[in-house]
Amino acid sequence: MGIIKKLPVFLEKVPGGGIVTTSLDYIFSQSQASSLWYLLFGTACCAIELMATGASRYDFDRLGMIFRASPRQSDLIIAAGTITKKMAPRLRLLYDQMAEPRYVIAMGGCTVKGGPFYYDSYAVEKGIDHIVPVDVYIPGCPPRPESLLEGCLTLQKKVKRLKMQDWS
Amino acid sequence: MDREQLIKYIQDKFPGKVTLLDCGRVEPFFKVELGFLKEFCQAIRDDTTLGMDYLCNIAGVDSGEHYEVVYSVASVKNKIRFDFKIFPERENPAIDSVIDVWPGANWYEREVWELYGINITGHPSLKRFLLPDDWNQGHPMRKNWDAPDFVRMPEN
Repeated sequence: MGIIKKLPVFLEKVPGGGIVTTSLDYIFSQSQASSLWYLLFGTACCAIELMATGASRYDFDRLGMIFRASPRQSDLIIAAGTITKKMAPRLRLLYDQMAEPRYVIAMGGCTVKGGPFYYDSYAVEKGIDHIVPVDVYIPGCPPRPESLLEGCLTLQKKVKRLKMQDWS
Repeated sequence: MDREQLIKYIQDKFPGKVTLLDCGRVEPFFKVELGFLKEFCQAIRDDTTLGMDYLCNIAGVDSGEHYEVVYSVASVKNKIRFDFKIFPERENPAIDSVIDVWPGANWYEREVWELYGINITGHPSLKRFLLPDDWNQGHPMRKNWDAPDFVRMPEN
């Protein structure tokens, strides 16, 4: 990651190096956006919609999104379902285990702001943005697969805008 | 044994210690005196006519004025089931453990202790059960419980 990040700095001193940089930017960002592999992380009823979106009727695969069972192989966490206070450290652990660049989609009202458990609940974390940085929020209880696809397309737009210098 | 026979049998067997509560349910619902709990449980399990061999559930209740602990018991052999509840004291609530009668009571009693703060006398391992391991905010199912990020439902 360190070399990639410094690459534009060296290349821009070379005549014509800017073309290389922008082309590489284009290739990298397009490839990343077209293969956002997501972590299997369903904690409540939103996971049913996530599974429906992954199945053949809505077909996540046409966006290049395949589920992975290991955080080491994923680029994206779709936090589908209620995150309780007991689950929150585990979510943070999974996020920390992912390789950068990594993204988070907060799917459903529970992960956005506690959802139906906002009032009178001692056990539910009120929004996962207390735990991990969130890129896209998808409200709904649960959101329909169309909403989830829209959220993923929004994330793809965000990823496509990234340049090599922005990589953390 | 139908409902009326069961009510009569239990009230005749434990005179003065057990009262019937009017709750509109199919199964009868009794109130048991606080100190009589363990003796009562032992008796209904060992009695051949009743033979309550299965403890379905123990639930805690905080009504705001008093605590309640509700026991649901069933007899697989005799096909009977009924519920009974006891009322622990408001200050320093404590009840007897019924693990000796039904070993399955272990986790239910831990849950009641953890969420309601009702002390279970004679329980072998009252330790953290459902809440996070580093929980230090008291007993969250009590009516007067509060925490910094706890939002109470507005009245209307």
